[in-house]
Amino acid sequence: MKIVAVTACPTGIAHTYMAAARLEKVAKNFGFEIKVETQGAMGIENKLTENDIRQAQIAIFAVDIEVEGRERFNGVKVIQVPLQEALKNPEGIFSKIQR
Amino acid sequence: MTQTSDSSMQFVFSCPLSSGLHARPASHLAEIANQFACECSLTNLRNGLAANCKSVLGIISADVRHGDRCSLHLNGPDAHAAHTALQQFIEEALPQCDVPLAGIVPSPRSNKTPRPLQAANATCIFGTPVSRGIGHGPVVILKRMTLPVNVDTQTATNPSQELQQIKEAVAAVRHRIGEKLKYSLTPTGAAVLQADLAMAGDVFLVEKLTEQVRQGKSAGQAIVETGEFFIDLLGHSENEYIRQRSADIEEICLQLLEEVCGTSPATSIQLHEPSVLVAETLAPQQLLELDRRWLKAIVLEHSAATSHAAILARSLGIPTLAGVRNARLVLTSGREVVVDTNRGFVVPQFSPAVRRFYERERTTLERRKQSWSNHAGRAAKTADGTPLEVAANASSGEELTLAFENGADGVGLFRTEMIFLGREQPPSEDEQFAIYSEAARSAGGRPVIIRTFDIGGDKKVPYLNLPREDNPFLGYRGARIYADHRELLQAQLRAILRASALGPLQIMAPMVATLEEVAAFKSELAQAKQHLAQNGIAFQPEVKLGVMVEVPSVAFILDQLCREVDFFSIGTNDLSQYFFAADRGNQKIAPLFSVRHPAFLRFLQQLVSQIQQAGKWVGMCGEMAADVRNLPLLLGLELDEISVPAAEVHELKRSVSTLGAADCAKLLDRAMACQHAPEVDQLLSAHQSNHAEPLLTDELVLLESTSQTKAEVIQEMVDAFYVANRTDDRDLVEEALWAREAEYSTGLGHGFAIPHCKTDAVSANSICILRLHDPINWDSIHGEPVRMVVLLALRKSEVVNTHMQVFSSLARKLDDDDFRQHLLKFETAEQVTSYLAAQLRLPAGSVKPHPLAAERN
Repeated sequence: MKIVAVTACPTGIAHTYMAAARLEKVAKNFGFEIKVETQGAMGIENKLTENDIRQAQIAIFAVDIEVEGRERFNGVKVIQVPLQEALKNPEGIFSKIQR
Repeated sequence: MTQTSDSSMQFVFSCPLSSGLHARPASHLAEIANQFACECSLTNLRNGLAANCKSVLGIISADVRHGDRCSLHLNGPDAHAAHTALQQFIEEALPQCDVPLAGIVPSPRSNKTPRPLQAANATCIFGTPVSRGIGHGPVVILKRMTLPVNVDTQTATNPSQELQQIKEAVAAVRHRIGEKLKYSLTPTGAAVLQADLAMAGDVFLVEKLTEQVRQGKSAGQAIVETGEFFIDLLGHSENEYIRQRSADIEEICLQLLEEVCGTSPATSIQLHEPSVLVAETLAPQQLLELDRRWLKAIVLEHSAATSHAAILARSLGIPTLAGVRNARLVLTSGREVVVDTNRGFVVPQFSPAVRRFYERERTTLERRKQSWSNHAGRAAKTADGTPLEVAANASSGEELTLAFENGADGVGLFRTEMIFLGREQPPSEDEQFAIYSEAARSAGGRPVIIRTFDIGGDKKVPYLNLPREDNPFLGYRGARIYADHRELLQAQLRAILRASALGPLQIMAPMVATLEEVAAFKSELAQAKQHLAQNGIAFQPEVKLGVMVEVPSVAFILDQLCREVDFFSIGTNDLSQYFFAADRGNQKIAPLFSVRHPAFLRFLQQLVSQIQQAGKWVGMCGEMAADVRNLPLLLGLELDEISVPAAEVHELKRSVSTLGAADCAKLLDRAMACQHAPEVDQLLSAHQSNHAEPLLTDELVLLESTSQTKAEVIQEMVDAFYVANRTDDRDLVEEALWAREAEYSTGLGHGFAIPHCKTDAVSANSICILRLHDPINWDSIHGEPVRMVVLLALRKSEVVNTHMQVFSSLARKLDDDDFRQHLLKFETAEQVTSYLAAQLRLPAGSVKPHPLAAERN
């Protein structure tokens, strides 16, 4: 399964990136392919292209603020969770997706 | 010739002072009035109160506020002369009397209790800091001495005897104050005692005392009732300054009573050990009588920023907190307390946790001071070893002291105008000598450049009779007026020369445009030297002479000037205005030019190189030098010195050490080749981001922390920023970090935590690393305790992309077990920083060893 994700936290310094790292690691454990875009103090990194999104089955928003460029995801199923969730319990998110 | 008959004059004026006619301007007014024989009375037309203008107390009691119209009546043979003098004073010098007496009062940043103290359940009682510092010790409560209601019930049998007693008492009290003045007090301390002295001899006071005795009262009783009268009168004023004076008059009356009755009012307290004095209020002489070795801090109930005692405490460096209501009830005698005026509170229980907090605080403050003096004490050098003298500008003795405390290498510009303004008579040679010799002494061998008075038609100086001009900036000012005021210049030059015997003072002439002016100045200087030599007065014969470069014409006769003077100092404020023919204060055109304009840079470059080729010294004392953005350009110019406000010295010295002279020379060439100022600005920002302060240094790696709580850890890490001069406001940084903590935990698990914040309270993007000996609770995501803390602080206003990448890769790496294990095992700070530099692929210069590491080894 191909998954795309966006992480974003208000300060955008640390948690945004940690959450991204977490999601990447755990997705691998579940056997998923994932590409994570971070929206942090540096702006948007690893930006998800139209192609990336089109190819994905599902999108995860692990965010505490508005996702920038939300229109890109119109037409994709989105699971939105607080950023904490990606840090605390990423396994839970992926388990849900699996089902 | 008119007959000598009583003449009567009057005039009306409006009080221009924002604080009203308080003690100091009142004493000036009274001083002038006392020079004349005629009667002099002031009537406040707003409230109808009339006062004897020869009495300071009288004038004060008329309660003249800002805007009040007053009429002055003069009656007597010399009324006309008095009228001229007073009117001139009121119109020209009175408006200048509002300069407040000494003191940068620190204001508390936030009314918050520091976290570690909160955690220790320590209550903090807030007040208004009136004097800086931290002090602790057992409480000593000062009982308030009030005037007794009845001294003796006998009525005076012999009024003239009572009057005699009073006269003697007044003389004795004045003598005692006079004696105290002899001890070397700071200028502010002396000013306070002078005010007391004036009050003790006040005409109105004596009048009132006499009146009471004539009514049949004994000397003692007269003093008591007079005292009450004035305390009441002043105490009811709406003017804060004047209300404070009632404490002074009370103290004077107590002293008079002491003289007359022989009783020693038990106001003097003997201190035998370090103590914290707690009182309702304090009078200046009470303060002076305390043994200052034991007086660690003062807590006052009354709000007293303007009281003379507060001013004295400040000048004596005694931490003082005022406005603490019911302090005497809340603080227990004998119990140890700590007064923290930096944060604005007193902690009534000096528990072990509080003690611990303040021990850390003391170490932090000492370390910070130490790091300052490490930098400050040394001459600034670029990274490639080129020195730049960083001096300070000053206009008073106090600023001078501050400048040297801040590590200035000298005083590049000692402005003397303050000495000449705000007075009716010019300062005497002796008065100036006192000021300049004090400057020479505090300089301790460092050079001080004194600029002779630079006054123009825009300033009101009664004794100069300057003409009103349409265009004062292009007019009769600076050295141009010296030919018409030779006596004044001679007095100043003689004073400077005499002081030059005590230290390396240098003389500088302002606003010079032609060779003739320089020649004339030199001839005046020669004359002053000759006068002193003839009178056998010591001075430094080789005193150095320089000129300000402010007028562009100077740039084209440098060859001729270099033969006449020893040095030059570039005054960019005026120079840039004359250069671009533009007024910096004019909103419409000020944006049109900048000191970074290529034209101005080329001009400066030619100036500096020509002066140096002639073997002369050139510095810069204008605002261009104070702006750290310009520093690379100034280093490129190869100036010998820059002179800046005292507060900027440290920052500039630090910046010099981060730059390379060769690099800056190239930068200057590129800047001069630009076509517009904004291009130069861009060049400078690009240069700056390549030379930003390193993200991480060894001094920000704390490997053996003994902190026991999250609050202590955060305090310890922010203190590390403070000591490393990356922040001047710890409270703001802590607040930003705690705000982030409140959102959700920064404890990631695996024993790591990553507190972070975005705030401009840090001077550069920074990483701090702390490892604990014993893990502590951090309210982490999975509840795990924390052993390793990585703190990230990012400036809000400049997001340097390279740094952000570092932060984000660091955040990602923390998820990697291998990375974490390494950090937990390292034994030295250098190992940590090199590992991080490699792992995070930090750009060169992002990590720097401790600047004194080489010296340590």
